Amino acid sequence: MNYQPSILIVDDEKGLRNGTKRLLENEGYSVDTAENGTEGIQKGITNDYDLALIDLRMPDVDGLDVLTAFRKNKPETVCFISTAFASYDSAVESAHLGSFAYIPKPFTPEELLQQLRQGYNRRKLLLESKNLKKEREKNLFELAFEKSRLNTIVQSINEGILIINSKYEVVYFNSALLRLFNINELRVSDVVTEKLPADLFETAEKLIQSDLKSDKSFTKQIEMKAGELFVEVAINHVKDPHGFTVGAIFVVNDISELKKIERIKNQFVSMVAHELKTPIVAVDGFIRIILDKSIKLDESKKTEFLKRSVSRLSSMITLVNDLLDISRMELKNKFRIKNDIDLIPLIQSIINSFEVDFKARKLNIRFNYSTDRVLFFADENEINRLFTNLISNAIKYNKVGGSILVNISDSGNFYIIEIIDSGIGLREKERKQLFEEFFRAKNSSTRGIPGTGLGLTIVKRIVENYHGKIEVESEYEKGSNFKIYLPNYKISKQITGDGNGSNSIN
Amino acid sequence: MEIKEKIKTILLVDDDIDLLEQNKLLLETKGFEVITAESGEEGWRVFKKQQPDAAIVDLIMEHHDSGFVLSHRIKKHTKDKPIPVFILTSATYDTGFKFSTATDEEKEWIHCDGIINKPVAVSELLTKLENFFES
Repeated sequence: MNYQPSILIVDDEKGLRNGTKRLLENEGYSVDTAENGTEGIQKGITNDYDLALIDLRMPDVDGLDVLTAFRKNKPETVCFISTAFASYDSAVESAHLGSFAYIPKPFTPEELLQQLRQGYNRRKLLLESKNLKKEREKNLFELAFEKSRLNTIVQSINEGILIINSKYEVVYFNSALLRLFNINELRVSDVVTEKLPADLFETAEKLIQSDLKSDKSFTKQIEMKAGELFVEVAINHVKDPHGFTVGAIFVVNDISELKKIERIKNQFVSMVAHELKTPIVAVDGFIRIILDKSIKLDESKKTEFLKRSVSRLSSMITLVNDLLDISRMELKNKFRIKNDIDLIPLIQSIINSFEVDFKARKLNIRFNYSTDRVLFFADENEINRLFTNLISNAIKYNKVGGSILVNISDSGNFYIIEIIDSGIGLREKERKQLFEEFFRAKNSSTRGIPGTGLGLTIVKRIVENYHGKIEVESEYEKGSNFKIYLPNYKISKQITGDGNGSNSIN
Repeated sequence: MEIKEKIKTILLVDDDIDLLEQNKLLLETKGFEVITAESGEEGWRVFKKQQPDAAIVDLIMEHHDSGFVLSHRIKKHTKDKPIPVFILTSATYDTGFKFSTATDEEKEWIHCDGIINKPVAVSELLTKLENFFES
């Protein structure tokens, strides 16, 4: 045979040990020997012998103990017990302890070889089944690994997942669920009756108890922590292979941010509705009074009421236009026609357009600039709107006989345009609220000044669209200074070499 | 009308001078004497000086709660001889202002006898004033 089966002979009798060794080596075995039980155990567990021939009676360790040690450490090594004191009891015990055969001494070579051949066949079978077992274990392990990967995926998603069976027991959930349902502890097989928000549980109940083959799904929005945690829960059937409902799956999304935006939007809509309603109520009131025959009004009073109605309506139109401008500014893909605009003639023409108002309020206006041209690459309409709003404020909130100074300077990176008035000024608290929608400083000196409360909101948005910034310095009852910083694109163009910027569309 | 025996002078407070003038005109047509103020602070000064028999105040004036403050002051000042105080507003429940005077508890909490939505119908106002003396 090509392969030499290995065998360990454990025997305290030297003659028998060597004789058997010679015999087996001649038969093609690879033979090792141990002269007592201790050595036998030591060799047997450090090597992987195919076979072992163990003497029953040895002075130090009993052959059955050696057998036990083999069975424990090398279960695939096929063991034989041999003895000169053959007895029925020891034969039974050795078989019980797992010896393959019991060989009484003296034995003939044929007897021994016959036994060893059978033992070696047994050894081959054992090794084969051990390999099969290993293989199976490996497959199972891979299966488990596959399962745990899926588990890792479900555990790591942001959506909460909960699966319950038709007895409302938890079958599966991930950690996101605990956060989204605001639950501290949940275990598989927990009944969810108490753990779920009441109306969610009712929905799950409806779904599980509904027609077994139906296919419904529900979506609910639930406030889990007041004003803090809002979730949207989708509940669906879990079905067995025959299509019957066996449970429900909850997929939970965090919609707190969406709700926050919704609230801000609603607040804005409420404010707009209020701002629109006020002038409508005033105009409605005037018209009703004029139409009411029981109220005696002379002609001049009627005309006055109509004029006041027109003025309320025109301020309402301005408000609607401001609102439209703001919503247009919100659009990311706003169509802008950008050009190099010279701010000096632009501001000068705005100032000229207000000439009537300057005269009416006896205002002294000055316009200072140190350079010949202040080129800014922008949409002319927006820049016009920006400075119109600011100069209009400087007029409206000024004192009769006051002054306005518009000053342009160049800091290198920025053009700084200051609009300085000698008007009513702002209190510190008012200064902070200045850019909020519909904020208008309310006090005795602002009464009767028309405005939408959106002018500075628009100003701020335009400035920010062009990556500039706005600063306000103000002293109550002394005046205000609105400082606009617009980035000097000429410089950045020189740096980046992106020179030709005329008439491009952004 | 019985109501005019109880109420001779009404204080109207509103920072919208158009509405102030309209309501003044309407109430005067009904035969009341009307005194006016354009802010919560001024309303309080006028109230103390002229001691009107009823007050109708706008909610949002120099502050968002000016009407509440003034109403509260008047109610506190007239504990022994209560007068009707109504708050006017165009910021209603529908537009996100979450309050009403539907229950006594709310009236107690808000310190006024009712919240009236703009635009005001004078007939509605008169009914409310009458109800005040009946209950």
